[in-house]
Amino acid sequence: MSEGFLGTSAPLAPDVVLLLEVAMGVALLVGTWLARTKRFRPHAWCQSTIVLLNLVVVAVAMTPSFRAQVLASIPVKLSKSYYALATVHAAFGSIAELAALYILLAAGTRLLPEQLRITRYKAWMRSVVVLWWLVLFLGVATYVRWYVPNFRR
Amino acid sequence: MRRSVSVAVFITVEILVIAALSTGRQNAALAAQQKTEAAEVKIDNFSFGPATLTVSVGTTVTWTNRDDIPHTVTSADDPKAFKSKVLDTDEKFSFTFTQPGTYPYFCSIHPKMTAKVVVQ
Repeated sequence: MSEGFLGTSAPLAPDVVLLLEVAMGVALLVGTWLARTKRFRPHAWCQSTIVLLNLVVVAVAMTPSFRAQVLASIPVKLSKSYYALATVHAAFGSIAELAALYILLAAGTRLLPEQLRITRYKAWMRSVVVLWWLVLFLGVATYVRWYVPNFRR
Repeated sequence: MRRSVSVAVFITVEILVIAALSTGRQNAALAAQQKTEAAEVKIDNFSFGPATLTVSVGTTVTWTNRDDIPHTVTSADDPKAFKSKVLDTDEKFSFTFTQPGTYPYFCSIHPKMTAKVVVQ
């Protein structure tokens, strides 16, 4: 198994995922700024790319890791901070990704039936950005708890 | 008549001696089979201790996770000689080494954690 490159005890995959997620979090803010400056088409491309890229990262890296290292130990061992942190991160992360996909479908396509479409886009989008960043912080905390020896006690 | 008795006694003694020797060998073999040594490796502070453990063939090594984060004990050989599940704090994993050789292993969650067991 390949070692990571961030100088912690993590393998390669969590290091790559951490950098990707931080980059996507920043890019999401750039996309928000694009909307505020009324450049809606680049905004739509930017946010859509992030949501879909994140979906790939979740499917390829995060879900297998969660299943291998955490899933078997919950709910019995949720009192242990490293399992609790990873589980809360996974739960809120799933909600954020699903909400983002919903906005993507509602705003960018005509796939959803009329009654499922949203009208208050701004409120939805801002809520998802806030939730996304909360999940990002939880993800960084999970990484630190699992892979950085000096921060674990 | 006396000669017949002597032969009979001789044969009986021989049988008893052979039986005694045979039983002794069997007991010795059984004792050798049952004689298993034990050794321990402690997992703490993101490391295996000792990093190199030398044991004799037949030894059962037990790893105990004393760290406050999960770890695994995973053979670095291909195919893997042994592989534990994810070990939480105070959980143990044991493996008996039946062949001589050097067995490098690592933690699959933290691959920088490496160590080896030398079986002689």
